Amino acid sequence: MLYLAGRTAATALSAVLIAWGGLRWPDAALFLYGPLSTALLAASPSLRRVPVVWALDSLIVLALILAFGDWRSPFYLLWLATLALPAVSMRLSAALWLGLGASVTYLLVALIGGPVPGRLQLLSAETLAIHLSLPFLLVASLAYAADALRRLAVERARRERLAIEAERRRIAWELHDSAKQRLHAAHLLVSSLRGRVPAAQEPVLERATVELVSAASDLDTSLAELRSPLEGRPLEEALRARAAELTPGDGPWISVHGHAPALPPLVAAHVYRVGCEAITNALRHADAQEIDVSIAGDARALRLRVRDDGRGLPAERRPGASGLLAMRSRAETIGGTLAIGPGPGGRGTDLQLHVPLDHPGGLQ
Amino acid sequence: MIRVAIVDDHPALRAGLRTILEAEPGMAFAGESSGEPESLWPLLHRACPDVVLLDYHLPRGDGLQLCYRIKREVPSPRVILFSAYAGAALALPAALAGADGLLPKGVDARELFEAVRLAHAGERLIPPVSRTVLAEACADMEPPDQALVGMLLDGASEAEAARTLDLDAPAVRRTVQRVLGQLRVEVPAPRA
Repeated sequence: MLYLAGRTAATALSAVLIAWGGLRWPDAALFLYGPLSTALLAASPSLRRVPVVWALDSLIVLALILAFGDWRSPFYLLWLATLALPAVSMRLSAALWLGLGASVTYLLVALIGGPVPGRLQLLSAETLAIHLSLPFLLVASLAYAADALRRLAVERARRERLAIEAERRRIAWELHDSAKQRLHAAHLLVSSLRGRVPAAQEPVLERATVELVSAASDLDTSLAELRSPLEGRPLEEALRARAAELTPGDGPWISVHGHAPALPPLVAAHVYRVGCEAITNALRHADAQEIDVSIAGDARALRLRVRDDGRGLPAERRPGASGLLAMRSRAETIGGTLAIGPGPGGRGTDLQLHVPLDHPGGLQ
Repeated sequence: MIRVAIVDDHPALRAGLRTILEAEPGMAFAGESSGEPESLWPLLHRACPDVVLLDYHLPRGDGLQLCYRIKREVPSPRVILFSAYAGAALALPAALAGADGLLPKGVDARELFEAVRLAHAGERLIPPVSRTVLAEACADMEPPDQALVGMLLDGASEAEAARTLDLDAPAVRRTVQRVLGQLRVEVPAPRA
């Protein structure tokens, strides 16, 4: 929004300058190109993200300045405006180089594009200095501000997420610590009456017991949901995000593909944690360079497969390898099976988790 | 009359257990503790319960370590670990800690009474340690620890194991305590 206003202002200011200095032929192009490009960029946000468009935009205006034949062209302001998009979109260091490059480019334009080509027209040294320093200052300040805003947004998102996670954990703990224990107690109390009430009342007791057991199991589901690290995201997305967290920069390559069917929260949470554990093992213990995570499934079953090109499972187990135990126990909890072996050709590790979804037996 | 002591940090569960124990013929309530050492040890020494129902997850200290200590220091009571996490993974540490039973929270009263009676009669109510669990757990241990744990799980006494492996008794105790610490079953807890 601000950017488009700046662009429009630049065009308008150029027009005022032209009115001041008298209209010459390349000036007509300004009235055509200025509003037209601004309207086009305003209409298409996706266009505003393409670096080629930034470069084209900037070069066209530079070409018009050259055609104008004077580096003190009215197009200068429009050209400055074309630098704003890359300045706020690029990383800070890259943007600083861009600013420097822009200043140098304008020096070249002033050298070859002056009224007498090849000779710098030092009509006013101050004017030239301003023309040359302005691109760098503008790009640098815009890039700095954009970078600060980006970091602020990231930090705020992180804090929000942490606060939400802490709150969920607190609620889960409270439910587990009080409500669940009271349910256990109520179940024990009610079930102790079996065989001690008149036979006619026995079904009432039976029913109450069933309800209490169901309530405890509902509570377990809610607890799993509260503790779920997926936060409503599909499994593949959550795993992809975790993979990105584990390999910042240009570390090992992790690809996550496939789609998970709709999963009960408890199943999703456990499958997610098995996946994370497998990725962590591959990175930490197997020195894998490439990890392939695939998710497949339908309403009947879910399959998670994690393959890597690392050292594979050691013949002698390391001390402290409780990860495998935890993965197996998670698989058992959701009624699934876990198979871990060497990858194709004996290289790396191939982990496969299979979870049947069409029977509720594993969820008890 | 079987006298049962309850060690659990949840007052509601303690009250529920107490009520059903007092109502059950053949059982008596011997006392309760939230697991704090100040109330636990006097309870065990003075009330001399026949059976202790011990919560696995206690806010101060680990039910497994506590179980091991109770069995060493007050050998008379039978100890049943009572846990929300009484899965296959807990069978091994429970056996190692010398527990006489492992019971999930969420059992009904009849199952609980049955377990208390059997444990009192001298039965060991711990599910067999699955081979996978054992293999995975052994992966976490140094070879000398594996030998000791293997012997203890096979039913050897600590003294026998110490003689066979040429260790002294405190070394055996320290090893068991360390292994129990390693085998803790993950319990979700709020971040401090």
